[in-house]
Amino acid sequence: MLEIVDLKVHYENPEAPERPIRALDGLSLDLEAGESLGIVGETGSGKTTLALTLMGLVRRAAIQGRIRFQGEPLPVADEARMQRVRWRRIALAFQSVGSAFDPVYTIGQQIQEPIRLHLGMGEAQARVRVAELLEQVGLDRACADRYPHQLSGGEKQRAMVAMALSCDPDLLILDEPTSGLDVLTRSALVEMLSRLRRERGLTMVVISHELADIAHLTDRTLVLYAGRVVELGSTPHLLEDPAHPYLWGLTNAYPLMTRAKDLWGIRGALPDPGDPPAGCRFHPRCTQAIPQCREEVPVLAPPNPRFRGAGRRVACHRGGVVTLLAVEEVCRTFRNGGQPIPAVRGACLTVREGEVVGLVGQTGSGKTTLARIIVGLERPDSGRIWFEDQELTAGGPEGWDRARQRMALVFQDPYEALSPRLTVLELVREPLDIRGLGTRSERDGRAQEALAAVNLPTGLDFLYRRPHELSGGQLQRIAIARALVTAPKLLIADEPVSMLDASEQAKVLRLLKHLQNERGMAMLLISHNLALVRKVCDRIAVMCAGEIVEEGPAHRLLESPGHPYTGSLVARSRHLFSAEHPNPPSSGSATPSTTRTKEGRA
Amino acid sequence: MVRRRSGPGWAFPARAPWAPRLALYLLTLWGMLTLNFLLPRAMPGDPLLALMDPESDAYLADPGIRERILQYYGLDRPLWEQYLVYLGRLARGELGWSIALNTSVAGLLAEHLPWTLLLMVPSILLATLISVWAGAHAGWRRDTRVDRALLVAFLLLDTVPIFLLGILLLMVFGVYLGRFPLSGGQTPFASYASPWAQLADILRHLALPMATLTLGLAGRNFLLARNSMVTVLGMEFMQVARGKGLPEPTLKYRHGLRNAVLPLVTRFAMQMGAALTGMILIETLFAYPGMGRLMFTAVAARDYPVLEGGFLVAGVAVLLANALADLSYAWLDPRTREAPCPT
Repeated sequence: MLEIVDLKVHYENPEAPERPIRALDGLSLDLEAGESLGIVGETGSGKTTLALTLMGLVRRAAIQGRIRFQGEPLPVADEARMQRVRWRRIALAFQSVGSAFDPVYTIGQQIQEPIRLHLGMGEAQARVRVAELLEQVGLDRACADRYPHQLSGGEKQRAMVAMALSCDPDLLILDEPTSGLDVLTRSALVEMLSRLRRERGLTMVVISHELADIAHLTDRTLVLYAGRVVELGSTPHLLEDPAHPYLWGLTNAYPLMTRAKDLWGIRGALPDPGDPPAGCRFHPRCTQAIPQCREEVPVLAPPNPRFRGAGRRVACHRGGVVTLLAVEEVCRTFRNGGQPIPAVRGACLTVREGEVVGLVGQTGSGKTTLARIIVGLERPDSGRIWFEDQELTAGGPEGWDRARQRMALVFQDPYEALSPRLTVLELVREPLDIRGLGTRSERDGRAQEALAAVNLPTGLDFLYRRPHELSGGQLQRIAIARALVTAPKLLIADEPVSMLDASEQAKVLRLLKHLQNERGMAMLLISHNLALVRKVCDRIAVMCAGEIVEEGPAHRLLESPGHPYTGSLVARSRHLFSAEHPNPPSSGSATPSTTRTKEGRA
Repeated sequence: MVRRRSGPGWAFPARAPWAPRLALYLLTLWGMLTLNFLLPRAMPGDPLLALMDPESDAYLADPGIRERILQYYGLDRPLWEQYLVYLGRLARGELGWSIALNTSVAGLLAEHLPWTLLLMVPSILLATLISVWAGAHAGWRRDTRVDRALLVAFLLLDTVPIFLLGILLLMVFGVYLGRFPLSGGQTPFASYASPWAQLADILRHLALPMATLTLGLAGRNFLLARNSMVTVLGMEFMQVARGKGLPEPTLKYRHGLRNAVLPLVTRFAMQMGAALTGMILIETLFAYPGMGRLMFTAVAARDYPVLEGGFLVAGVAVLLANALADLSYAWLDPRTREAPCPT
């Protein structure tokens, strides 16, 4: 029904005519009749430009490329011919409905306009149709006689949809249909739209940055970044397991009711559309960019087979989000006088680029042993470990050595981990000294940067202190700085905050998450504290008696644990970390510790 | 448009919305009357100066007569007493007696006002039509050659002082081409063969002053009209209207101009004062027998009653124009008809 090939829309740039604003740069898509396509992307990624282009409403821009609609080219530049296409064949429910209605005419008059023009109805007939349309979108018929300023935002959104449906268009474009609406209005609107879609077999393009709306309203989704398509595929597959790092970041930043972790956006900002970066436009913000990404524009190609879904395409030189660390069936048994003590029994674990994975389990479940195996402090009895596509278990110690430059480990107890003989500066500089990286002054500089990054002073007075002069929080920060100084790809933190008081713990944890996000590192956070882990982790792996019994997205794992052990862990944590005292003070206390509803106590 | 309120059926608004507005107008009227009284008296000199000045030819040598005349006009009394007398007279509908011309002020106004209305009403209507149409067109064709040409022409009209424009028209059409009479409202001492001939004569006299005033006023409104149109055209709902596939004239007039006209209405009312000032200059220039000239001579003679009467008419005209704008605004813009939604 709709076929777009290599569409480019470059707006004139009044300040710099030689640098047009590249709103869309080579977009291609197909849409079958009856299908619903979602278009996702940040503000400024070119979504609305696409909608306006299809309506022929783009002004002061150069449009290139081929658009075919119902088998014939769409005359987007021909105002007179577009007039006959608009609303009758393609209708657009505009965004920002606050100002989308002419303030001096009633809603009914404005919906009537296209009906009378395109369908040739008389006034009386058109009035009847308006009333029907309003009822279809769940509005009172009386709304027809109201002026736009007398309607609420949600009512205007519905009226806009009614207006868009008024001439039975072949293609309906919804541009941010739910932006700025409250939850109840929004869910009612989404329900109404999916009902209308079912009833009328509408062909739709849904433009939204609201992933929830996309999930409910579309079959396929196209992800735009800075005017280019970065991923395309069936909506459930795309949202469940995003391949492109951009979509991965977007889904991770999306608030879910069940998501307990703090929200962190994708690092950096959308590029200047007048001067986009060369190569892949996402590379300055990507955690897995390689030199090729800076030079070559990636084409849409099937992603790594790990990502499921037919017809899936991703524009990434690395075939989607890369697995940084893979642990497969790793076993390690210690012996105590001939008595075998299995510490790790066939553990499997993956950590992807830029991801925070929590490894949770009770003391003695083998978490620390597994961490020591990953960094090469222990050799596994069997099993395989890959890091950055290198199988470490296959090669000799030099493989681990190289890998260790890209991994760093932060231990639980900074008092034990940091040598009391060294000064702060020496402690942080040591990883560089050992590898002999750079000159002495360069190393000092990098050490000071790392200290600054963990919010520690960098004055001489502080640099020459020794561990016994510092607090636990400061020492743990030094341990983190020491890990950061080599700019690792993977930070393995073994109970990094368990020795700290609640306030210091919160600060250090936020700092770790902040550094992880800014530097694009992946992090494996090992802890027995589920309440803590869920605040920062994207995924959680649960370890029990040397095995990983469950692994999954943090929100899902906490909401509906699959393994009984996880279930009991979650339940125990709930109980232990609930704010309620086992013996609450008698009612009438001054501090409201429980929620209240209007009818009475909850 | 009445809004349905909570409660059964259609209800009248709880409070008459025009009541506070009317009070405001009355207050303004009172302020204006007070100024009308004070301002002429604040000018140096007074209407009887010539009679009281021993240097003057018209000096009244008899102190008794001087006293009587002062008493007759009430000018010997303290200012606040004069003020009360003035308000009292107005309340009875009396406008007083001209000191300089020795006729009733009401008669003077009745004689001059029709001339002014004849000049002013068509000029303002014509100027509004021209400027709104041209402004809307220029805004619609923004940044094209038509827009630029209109912009230059109207800016020129706006910046040239109105009396200079009048002199220019007078020189070209009155003196060099000799097509139009130089001054007056009609040919003096003429006897007409028919009322039509008289009308033709009046219209010939009217042409130049009316052209001057029209052009002068049009220049002022053009920019606002254009700007207002450009603003409206940039609004989201214009894009929506275009997206609905509506034809150009519908977009331009039904949606564009219809909204662009709103600020112009306010401007129109506020301009009444300016139009009156322009009137005085133009009527003086063309020796037109309207209110402007009457006021001009009254100021020269410090003829307090005439000034009070003339200003009263002018002030009431401005107030009426504002009231008209207020009323038409409610009619033009549904958003001003009622308090905003309680949502």
